[in-house]
Amino acid sequence: MAEQTEMTPQRPLPEITPLTEPFWTAAQSKKLVVQLCAKCDKYQFPPELACTHCGSPDIAWQEVSGRATLYSWTVAHPPMLPYFQERSPWPVVAVELEEGPRMIAGIVDTPVDEYVFGMSLVAAFEKISEDVTLVMFRKDA
Amino acid sequence: MIRDKTAIVGIGTTEYVRDIGRPELQTALEAIRAALDDAGLTANDVDAMFKIETPGEEPNSELEVARNLGVPNLRAWGGAGYGGGAACAPVVHAAMTVATGMADVAVAFRSRNRGSGGRPWARTGARVPGIGAFEIPYGLVGPVQQLAIVARRYMHEYGATSEQFARVAVAQRACASKNPRAYFREAITVEDVISSRMIADPLHLLDCSLETDGACAVIVTSAERARDLKQPPAYIMGASQGMGPRHYMMNGLIYKEDPFDFPTIYAARDVYAMAEIGPKDVDVALFYDVFSAMVLWQLEAFGFCEPGEAGAFVEEGRIDWPDGDLPVNTHGGSLSEAYVHGFNHILEAVRQIRGTADCQVQDASVALVAAAAVVPSSALVLRK
Repeated sequence: MAEQTEMTPQRPLPEITPLTEPFWTAAQSKKLVVQLCAKCDKYQFPPELACTHCGSPDIAWQEVSGRATLYSWTVAHPPMLPYFQERSPWPVVAVELEEGPRMIAGIVDTPVDEYVFGMSLVAAFEKISEDVTLVMFRKDA
Repeated sequence: MIRDKTAIVGIGTTEYVRDIGRPELQTALEAIRAALDDAGLTANDVDAMFKIETPGEEPNSELEVARNLGVPNLRAWGGAGYGGGAACAPVVHAAMTVATGMADVAVAFRSRNRGSGGRPWARTGARVPGIGAFEIPYGLVGPVQQLAIVARRYMHEYGATSEQFARVAVAQRACASKNPRAYFREAITVEDVISSRMIADPLHLLDCSLETDGACAVIVTSAERARDLKQPPAYIMGASQGMGPRHYMMNGLIYKEDPFDFPTIYAARDVYAMAEIGPKDVDVALFYDVFSAMVLWQLEAFGFCEPGEAGAFVEEGRIDWPDGDLPVNTHGGSLSEAYVHGFNHILEAVRQIRGTADCQVQDASVALVAAAAVVPSSALVLRK
């Protein structure tokens, strides 16, 4: 039994850095945050040291609505990393937040054959480990 | 400007196989020696060296290669990022260096043991650094999944089909069947591609490039010196790199406002401007084809058709050799000849200009080579 536990592949988790820590900390309290530029007023994701639209370093984390639409998706088949391979086929989605930025995520409650471009989604949060809660999405009823 | 001031005068390769059984440094040396022989030059003539770099994996330093070739002095060297996007970049840098008089004879090469060496993303650790932290934990791990998401969106926006993607693989395999260097030579049909197993929906196994071991190299010198050498020169009319705004590697296309604002669009604009030509002047195109769909995006980026029309263009047989009006990847490309980060496409362009290709395009006088569309990219125009 102990041997089997050792053999079970772990899900790869994010390395949490000073740059990304606000995102992961917010996710633990079920909040979705992205960076907002004070100069050009655009949101961006993933996090950077400056605004990638205008180059301004004057950016800050901002909570967003969590509302999004389904932008695209794939269903991954082997060969894959062991954790996903054991659970394959594995859907991965790209969502477009109401505020503009897009992100990679998963959908928690809808089988992939019911995915439709533009379907309304809302952020869900899935605690994976002590320090990691992944931002997922579910169908917006 | 550097238009027509330099030429590719030598090409060399190793064999392309799944497991070559020799380190990348060894195969790099073999390909470079073959290219020097082809040009009628020796290591004593070489004074510059450029190569493709991939973030996180850097074999074959110029230091080791030059030392083991016996090069007396390098006056210029460097690696160009990023992976397949750099396919043409070492030649771009070689041309710049020679045209400006910084060096006389430049080697550009790529050596990879991708067939036996495993995939870089398989080494993903328990904690993922960088942008991958927002992707890999969700299962978006490697290029095929990253591109599949973009390909599905492309199909949605433009009505492209899996059959159209498959048509690229079929056309290239038909060429590979006549190429003794090609890894895969058995003819395939659209049905074979569609029914091959799914790797990342909508991309099937036969939509994906090979994974092979091998190396290739080219020699660049001045147009003046080229005229006295063994081979007919392939003059470098145009050479460019392009990145575009807010770019990442191919994982990050979806972060851009327009995910189809590919780096290759910028490389296309500049390579045409330098060469002073347009798509109508191109006789044969060598497009980066790590996945079949990417060929469609390059047909559009280089102006052979309008955005969204490449699927129909391919379906009409227009990229087929010998009857299409723009034969593409006449060596079989990365889908059938070998995966050397697209560097093998440059060698095929040179063969077309020399008139020695296995699938020779009649009277080919202008050849276009493009690197990966979706990562910081590069392009070349060669002429007779």
